[in-house]
Amino acid sequence: MSMSVATTSGYLENLLQGRSQLPASPLAWFNRLRADAVERVGMLRVPTTRDEEWRFTDISLLTTLQFQPVHTTSHLQAAEVEHFYLEPATIRLVFIDGVYAPQLSTQVPGVAGDSDIVITNLSAAVSAHATTLEPHLGRHAEFRNNVFTAINTAFLHDGALIIVPRNVAVDVPVHLLFIATQKEVASYPRCLLIAESGSAVTVIEDYVALQQGVYVTNAVAEIALADNARVNHIRVQRDSGQAFHIADCAVSLAQASRYQSTSIALGARISRYNLNVQLAGEGAECTVDGLALIAERQLADTHTCIDHIKPHGTSRQLHKCIVDGAAHAVFNGKIMVRPGAQLTDSAQSSRNLLLSGRAHIDTKPQLEIFADDVKCAHGATVGQLDSEEVFYLKSRGLSEMTARNLLTYAFGAEIIERIPVASLKHQLEQTVLEQTQRN
Amino acid sequence: MSAVLQNLVNQPYKHGFVTEIESDVAPKGLNEDTIRMISAKKNEPEWLLEFRLKAYQQWLTMEEPQWPNVKYPKIDFQAISYYSAPKPRKKLGSMDEVDPELLRTFEKLGVPMHERAALAGVAVDVIFDSVSVATTYKQKLAEVGIIFGSISEAVHTHPDLVKQYLGTVVPVGDNYYATLNSAVFTDGSFCFIPKGVKCPMDLSTYFRINTEASGQFERTLIIAEEGASVSYLEGCTAPRFDTNQLHAAVVELVALDNADIKYSTVQNWYAGDENGIGGIFNFVTKRGLAKGINSRISWTQVETGSAITWKYPSCVLQGDNSVGEFYSVAVTNNHQQADTGTKMIHIGKNTRSTIVSKGISAGHSNNSYRGLVRIAPTAAGARNYSQCDSMLIGDQCSASTFPYIQVRNNSAIVEHEASTSKIGEDQLFYFAQRGIGNEEAVSMIINGFCKDVFQQLPMEFAVEATKLLGFKLEGSVG
Repeated sequence: MSMSVATTSGYLENLLQGRSQLPASPLAWFNRLRADAVERVGMLRVPTTRDEEWRFTDISLLTTLQFQPVHTTSHLQAAEVEHFYLEPATIRLVFIDGVYAPQLSTQVPGVAGDSDIVITNLSAAVSAHATTLEPHLGRHAEFRNNVFTAINTAFLHDGALIIVPRNVAVDVPVHLLFIATQKEVASYPRCLLIAESGSAVTVIEDYVALQQGVYVTNAVAEIALADNARVNHIRVQRDSGQAFHIADCAVSLAQASRYQSTSIALGARISRYNLNVQLAGEGAECTVDGLALIAERQLADTHTCIDHIKPHGTSRQLHKCIVDGAAHAVFNGKIMVRPGAQLTDSAQSSRNLLLSGRAHIDTKPQLEIFADDVKCAHGATVGQLDSEEVFYLKSRGLSEMTARNLLTYAFGAEIIERIPVASLKHQLEQTVLEQTQRN
Repeated sequence: MSAVLQNLVNQPYKHGFVTEIESDVAPKGLNEDTIRMISAKKNEPEWLLEFRLKAYQQWLTMEEPQWPNVKYPKIDFQAISYYSAPKPRKKLGSMDEVDPELLRTFEKLGVPMHERAALAGVAVDVIFDSVSVATTYKQKLAEVGIIFGSISEAVHTHPDLVKQYLGTVVPVGDNYYATLNSAVFTDGSFCFIPKGVKCPMDLSTYFRINTEASGQFERTLIIAEEGASVSYLEGCTAPRFDTNQLHAAVVELVALDNADIKYSTVQNWYAGDENGIGGIFNFVTKRGLAKGINSRISWTQVETGSAITWKYPSCVLQGDNSVGEFYSVAVTNNHQQADTGTKMIHIGKNTRSTIVSKGISAGHSNNSYRGLVRIAPTAAGARNYSQCDSMLIGDQCSASTFPYIQVRNNSAIVEHEASTSKIGEDQLFYFAQRGIGNEEAVSMIINGFCKDVFQQLPMEFAVEATKLLGFKLEGSVG
């Protein structure tokens, strides 16, 4: 289980070799950011279960895989992937194995017009928007102590870029579609969303696989909300059941902004999602919901940190896990209330359903409070379906199995119903239904 | 409002004085010779010396834990004296022969031994620094077959029992401080309740640290055989000193089939002054093994003292249908730090556990609850309910909650709840409306907040605890 530093540093060196194919950027700060990240990787090591943050998630298997990223653009045609498309998401950026696919992506309507919305791939826009990007890119997603974020940043080249200008509301959801098509490759997806003051946008970050197979996704997303901005962020991870998915998302909220997040984890052999939300302005609000629905030998690990830095912040969190087979779900939800963040109102709930005798859960809702005039509560439950609820449905003529499926479905649906995009909601409801009926 | 609160909080430590008794103190430092010296002084059998040396060897390879949410300067283990005993004048036949200075100390602490023993029917095994000085009611207990006394005495009188159970609940290499304790423990209590016996009175011990710069390393072992039951009280105060004193005790409880052990603690050791200078480092390992079916282990603690508290009274629920309970009130003020909680390890079928933890932090203090509920794959039908509430008084303190929940059996039900609150202006206003002043109102609110725990305490402790909280927090709210 414990690995020597020597072998993991060899692993990290090998991973970084793929960087040699990256073109240098014309921007000095961009190159410096990458160089900093490379240097940082050299100082860090791959975490083991002896590290508190990775105590329940053993990723030693990952260090045996030294996959390199793809650099060539895919020639995949729309017909092969359009079943992943969502209605009415007419704005879509598609990445195949981490590489931008312009032939599948849609142009942003009115990008040349007066609204100035930017929804494009990062490398195409980085020079034109350098001054807007510099204070955000690589500044929110901390890579000092996170080796995976550092690796992603070391490979920083392309990605999804969304800039919503002041007082503009993007009226259709933006679909960021990351499709895995090849086995034994690594991809380093990157998203940057800048919501300027008073703007509003809904973004769907969607990870899908065209076929089963082992591959590694190491994704980083950064979301910056200026005063009064609103972002609805839906994240769906439906990677291949053999894949590894490690992701980091950093969100920064300015005064009176509102961030709503719904993350769904269905795929991957081992997945880890770090979500860090900083309420850095007064009166900021966030809702952070999550659902992990896993079976067989899957492991889904969600670590969230909601950091109340300024007063009058509100946060709500509901995280659910449905665990079947010999799967293992991990949840660590930290709520931090910093000195001076008075009148914070925070509530967190971790609810877990174990469907099989071999499934297991490690949950840790965590509160760290440094201000006295606050309202903070958290709760956690672990159990199986309530026998009285099952009995009630049976007394109405449902079979035991139908009753159980219905209750399991309802347990998961509570999260899915919060997704504002009807087509995606429908897709996910179907997935949950299929998964529950499989038993 | 805060002025009254300040007053409440800033009450000086009432038990700060040093008793001048000639002490037999070992030179500072720790090595194999120190351990041999302790063992020789206590005239111990060979197996116990081996136990100590094995622990010492293991301790040398271990590192101080870094994970607790507390900060303190590095402890120099070589600067501590590991043995200190009041010089015995002669064998004591009765209470009258006890050093009058010592008796006066207890009186100052509010524990008039005769009175307390007589009125409350409590047998007190007095530990003064490290050696048991006097034991009352021994005779009465002996009649029903209960063995209650110091552990060093038990090593001679009942070596088989000590040998059979010592280190079975907290193994020699359990953690850094427990291992250190295994190597250098000087004294502590031993209690054995034989089959079917319900202990006729509450057993009590009174810990006190006296000699400056001498760490105290108690070892307590309580065994309740089939169907036995006992309630054990431990109360602590310590005099005022400016150098930090290390206290690393180990408490082991063993409950066999249908046995019931209730262990209550009121801890009010010197917490350091208002600037965080001095105070006791309280690094304690307490664990109970509910070994038999239907056995029950219950921990109740009121932690108000110590500069640093690092303590997790735990239950290993091995027997089917066994029950574990943990009721705790932890109060921190000034620069105190507490990282305390419990572990409930469910192994047997239908095991049940309850955790009720109330943390109150004031001043610049830091109060953490850290708990673990683990349901093993074998623990079918296990049930846990945990509740952790924190109250913050003032904006310079902090409260943290770290509950680990690990479930490996799908027929188990685990529930955890936590909340944070403060004493609200509206609550105080409500009291004021009814003619109740701030100070009294605060005391009532705090007592209400802690009620669930105080109810679990034996009567005389409940009274003491209520008072203790009152003067601990005097002036903190207003």
